[in-house]
Amino acid sequence: MTNHLNDIRNARAIIMFGSNAAEAHPVAMQHILAAKEKNAAPLIVVDPRFTRTAAKADVYVRLRSGTDVALVMGLVREIVRNGWHDRDFIDKRTFGFEEVMKVADHYTPEEVQRITGVEPALLKRVARLLADNRPGTLIWCMGGTQHSHGNNITRSYCILQLVLGNMGKAGGGANVIRGHDNVQGATDMCILSNSLPGYYGLSDGAFKHWAQVWKVDFEWLKGRFDLAYDKKQHNKKGFTMARWYEGVLQPKEKIDQRDNIRALFYWGIAMESQSQMHRVKKALEKLELLVLVDPFVPSAAVVPDRKNGTYLLPASTQFENEGSVTATARQLQWRYPVLEPQYDSRPDHWIMFELTKRLGFGQEFAKNIKKWPDDCLEEWRSGLQTIGYTGQTVERLKRQRDNAHTFDLVTLRANGGPCDGEYYGLPWPCWTTDHPGTPILYDMSKPVMEGGLPFRARFGTEYKGRPLLAAKGVTMPGSRADGGYPEFKGVVKGTNWKTDLSDKTFRAALSKGMAPFGNARARMYVWTFPDPVPIHREPIQTPRPDLLADYPTYPDKKLQYRVDTAFASAQKADTSKSYPLILTTGRIVQHMGGGAETRANRWLSELAPEMYAEVNPRTANDYGLMDGDWIWVESPQKGRIKVKVKVTLRVDPYTIFLPYHFGGVFEGVSRIDRFPEGTAPYVVGESGNVVTNYGYDVVTQMQETKTGLCQIRKA
Amino acid sequence: MKIRSRSKGPSPRGPDRARTDRRGFLKAAATALGAGAVAGTPAGFVRRARAGEKNPFPDAKQVKTVCTHCSVGCGVIAEVQNGVWVRQEMDLTHPISRGGLCCKGASLRDFAMSEKRLRFPLKLVDGRWQKISWEKALDEIADRLLKIRKESGPDSVFWMGSAKMSNEQCYLFRKMAAMWGTNNVDHQARV
Repeated sequence: MTNHLNDIRNARAIIMFGSNAAEAHPVAMQHILAAKEKNAAPLIVVDPRFTRTAAKADVYVRLRSGTDVALVMGLVREIVRNGWHDRDFIDKRTFGFEEVMKVADHYTPEEVQRITGVEPALLKRVARLLADNRPGTLIWCMGGTQHSHGNNITRSYCILQLVLGNMGKAGGGANVIRGHDNVQGATDMCILSNSLPGYYGLSDGAFKHWAQVWKVDFEWLKGRFDLAYDKKQHNKKGFTMARWYEGVLQPKEKIDQRDNIRALFYWGIAMESQSQMHRVKKALEKLELLVLVDPFVPSAAVVPDRKNGTYLLPASTQFENEGSVTATARQLQWRYPVLEPQYDSRPDHWIMFELTKRLGFGQEFAKNIKKWPDDCLEEWRSGLQTIGYTGQTVERLKRQRDNAHTFDLVTLRANGGPCDGEYYGLPWPCWTTDHPGTPILYDMSKPVMEGGLPFRARFGTEYKGRPLLAAKGVTMPGSRADGGYPEFKGVVKGTNWKTDLSDKTFRAALSKGMAPFGNARARMYVWTFPDPVPIHREPIQTPRPDLLADYPTYPDKKLQYRVDTAFASAQKADTSKSYPLILTTGRIVQHMGGGAETRANRWLSELAPEMYAEVNPRTANDYGLMDGDWIWVESPQKGRIKVKVKVTLRVDPYTIFLPYHFGGVFEGVSRIDRFPEGTAPYVVGESGNVVTNYGYDVVTQMQETKTGLCQIRKA
Repeated sequence: MKIRSRSKGPSPRGPDRARTDRRGFLKAAATALGAGAVAGTPAGFVRRARAGEKNPFPDAKQVKTVCTHCSVGCGVIAEVQNGVWVRQEMDLTHPISRGGLCCKGASLRDFAMSEKRLRFPLKLVDGRWQKISWEKALDEIADRLLKIRKESGPDSVFWMGSAKMSNEQCYLFRKMAAMWGTNNVDHQARV
């Protein structure tokens, strides 16, 4: 999120795309509803499904799943044609408006309707509401990202906010509400196959930076990788969670590493959350070694047919650990330990320390960490300059948690007391130990030392002769610079703001009222991406083959994250005749993720005990189905599940919705008898992700679970 | 093999059953959804002690923590007595959640104290789960990993991590994969 949840209280309009906060983030809804009530802010919910969030909306826009770019670019076109765009903001703080308009002009209200199904009058009404009620906040969730062109969709959201001049303002922003409790922190720490912690990437420079922080020799670190296979193997992205199983199933000549994946750790993760789960199951069966680390027994222990080579290690919960956790609004909070490790469980870090000892690099691994968790936090704090995870000390985080009541409800700034002037959670970037944190990104109305920030100068000073730095006059209170400036470097010889491990560069910038990362324009034209300006592309499994001539997907990609990914060739095999219904998935309030925790919770299991498929009454009648009937849902890739029908108007007649929290049943057969004694969850069910389709984002390899196809038949 | 005994202090199951029955919880959860969480008035979930009512846990210590489900970051106050999480209190002054919790947050106590938890390390032997010590499990796993590394290189091991760990643990996890020598490491943020 560029802003924070409490800041939504400042919004004059709220537009939500593919976000069902009422169920997925219920407590965030209080801030949204407060803005609706107190500011009379129109709440616009855009979603293929009439969710519980939509039930609270002033305007509900039902679009065909996966067509957000067309709708958003249609809004941009409408706004600009009426002269409602923020010219000053666009001229001085953005890059690529001309290119955006060349694309947006294509999305006329009629064309938008042809693609999305949204009526022109409704499109115009939404554009008008956004123009008349500024600043407005834009919120999205997985409904916007889990698509084969999800990177286009999310960038189109940002473009809409830039065109409206809603970025860097209280009540505005481009706000993704994230999933798990520490998914923001885990992303920042980069448990990702494409980067070392802090988004430093995988270049030699990145490895050198972290070798320095870890106090190990760069050559030793590099030498740990399979350089005999490829001397650049350490610079190469790994397999992803979305497609790791291809590393097991594909012949080894087809993958970009020496041999197949033979061993896998599933460490606090559910197989239920991966699409093509029947393929995931096959890979899990083929592995030589499978190690499952979890407080509860995950489905991966019982669904794959395995006889040996499987270990279940009981991890403690976070209530038996102490440390920091990062909420969706970049806020770090301290968790005090509630309990000692229960039963014979062990905290995750204990398991890592013990394992690395046995793997022969325990000493290097634990070199700087004697006291838990303080020394570990100090270590990451010394190396995470890129995102300003540098000013959040243990002492400050504890003090904030102890004095949480002193923070203002709307600004989240402490008003007096021991944390006076700080923002709650020391939201990153929090440059130095006396910086208050940055509650709203790119907000130039405040000095940097009070949480202000320009857009980052990340891509040089110009592109093809056009300026990338902010225009003259774009400055902030207390800044010595008038207009744009590049990132800071050379304050400490041979370093820049990202690699200076002392805080000298930060302090040099802050003392001048300037941001360490410069002051630039927001790029609406991203020349490094497959589509520099977002355009609509049909999902891989499209229900509208008639649109493929105009809106085809990408060409196939060779060795994307170590394995070929099919785009055009997968789309060419038109499956819409045999699989006539759109398949989409989502969350329900009672369960979380794959559900290993919540389905083992007696209260939550009772509240939501059964897996089901939502079917529109019209569809149900056409198929001869009644509420509670069993059906088989089948995907074009031949995944199939047997579930109960829930007849509801939440979905339109062309769509089937599945929650994805269930597991422990596969193709109609319960595996509950395979759980170790006493560990079976209270409820099991078929996994929705067995039938989600093939399709992956062209940049991130995010799985396309929100738009697929399926067929149903009575079981 | 040592299995932690919890015989000291009250049973984690006993007092709970006595105090919050199923109907009471369902009612409370419904309130949290309908009025508490959504409308932002947590009053429906707050139960002030009535005059003359005896506090069943007079020595309970209140511990501030954060919900482990979604990314909103709701405050939670756990009440702990003799090492047992006996009750859960609303964190009314928490700036983000202001006392609100959904049904998942309201049932965290049963998550941590669940009797369904995996209690000790297990190993699958010819299709049957067998108890194994931590020491032996970690030794065996490490031996297998080193053998695979020798035969196929470090990329033949995939490290799938988690957004459910703390920042410190997430950081260590990425560091572990790097020092093992692979970029075959990822977690659920990818999907």
